[in-house]
Amino acid sequence: MDFILAFIGSFAGAILFNIERKNLVWAGLCGGISWVVFKVLFIQTDRVVFSTFLAAFACGIYSEAMARKRKTPAFVFSIPGIYPLVPGITAYTTVRAIVEGRLVFAANKGIETIGTAGAIAFGIMLASTAFQFVYKVNEKYRKKPKVIS
Amino acid sequence: MNIKEVMDIASFAGEILLSSGAEIYRVEDTITRICNSYGVHCECFVMPTGFSLTVRNKNGDVLSNVKRIKNRSVDLHRVEMINTFSRRLLNERSSYKEAMEELNRIKNMPYFSYNLQIISSGFVAFGFAKLFGGSFLDSLVAFVISMFIFYIKDNIQKYGFFQFLEFFLSGLMAGVLSIIVAKLIPYVNIDKVIIGAIMTLVPGVAITNGIKDALYGDFISSFARLIEASFIAIAIGLGVGVSLILQLSWV
Repeated sequence: MDFILAFIGSFAGAILFNIERKNLVWAGLCGGISWVVFKVLFIQTDRVVFSTFLAAFACGIYSEAMARKRKTPAFVFSIPGIYPLVPGITAYTTVRAIVEGRLVFAANKGIETIGTAGAIAFGIMLASTAFQFVYKVNEKYRKKPKVIS
Repeated sequence: MNIKEVMDIASFAGEILLSSGAEIYRVEDTITRICNSYGVHCECFVMPTGFSLTVRNKNGDVLSNVKRIKNRSVDLHRVEMINTFSRRLLNERSSYKEAMEELNRIKNMPYFSYNLQIISSGFVAFGFAKLFGGSFLDSLVAFVISMFIFYIKDNIQKYGFFQFLEFFLSGLMAGVLSIIVAKLIPYVNIDKVIIGAIMTLVPGVAITNGIKDALYGDFISSFARLIEASFIAIAIGLGVGVSLILQLSWV
């Protein structure tokens, strides 16, 4: 059920970013995957930033793989894919706490918001660098036998 | 082909890329690739608000150009098209006229229709309000409010006020509308409705692009983007906050 909802959200978000029609479904799927990973990890470990990081990493891996397969840049999938992870709730809670004058709670939530945003970006980046690394290593090993023979 | 025409093509492509929200390294790569494919040496310096580009051919003629980018939006399809365009140039050089026609076609490419955009912004709100634990009623309210906000934001954009006013007013509308609805229908949970409704405004692309730029070594652009993102977030937060203060003191 959660998967379908996250799929709907990312799919509609992808329309707002004006992505090509044939890639829309795959972009929505990326959002669904990242939300499910986040949810499972969050239930297991109860750590928001950590599970967001791994979910963003999974989203990045998926979008890099799809980018190779469908011959488009990876951000077409990754940007709608991180939509469910964006710290909307924590940001809102921060504002609400500031308005109600609970400043310590607001500081807590604010730091959590910044941490989550950073975790998303680094998760995505880590995935894409890992992919490039594997790609380059592969190239190297592919070339070596050619040189020898 | 003379260097003026090469520079025209490269700077036009760069302009489309930057105003569609591409990363800095991608813009620099594309401009360099286009110039190199016509056999012209080039050096460019790109920032989120504009770029300068200097080209030099083998005879030592130098030409340079500064381009200022005023309005930026997110349009991933256009970035993708320019990307494939510049890669194709490496294999087959098209003439000046062909290249400019192609770029113009990319620039004027149709968006999704306006109604579809409004409805999909509603669905974003619906999906996330339900996902973050709202009831079905909350999600429906968020659906309607989000469509309304999208409409209003687009209209403010047409008048061309500065960017943060749009986000402030949208946040304010989200807050005020959901408070009014909650007053009329007592079962509605304000928190969930507001979270769903502001989901379309959240600057996710700016944050990720900002950190990406830093990792590629473009620190100035990275800071510019992160500051843009945090100001947008502050503007939305202020809007919602003002409406919440109104609710606490008067309703």
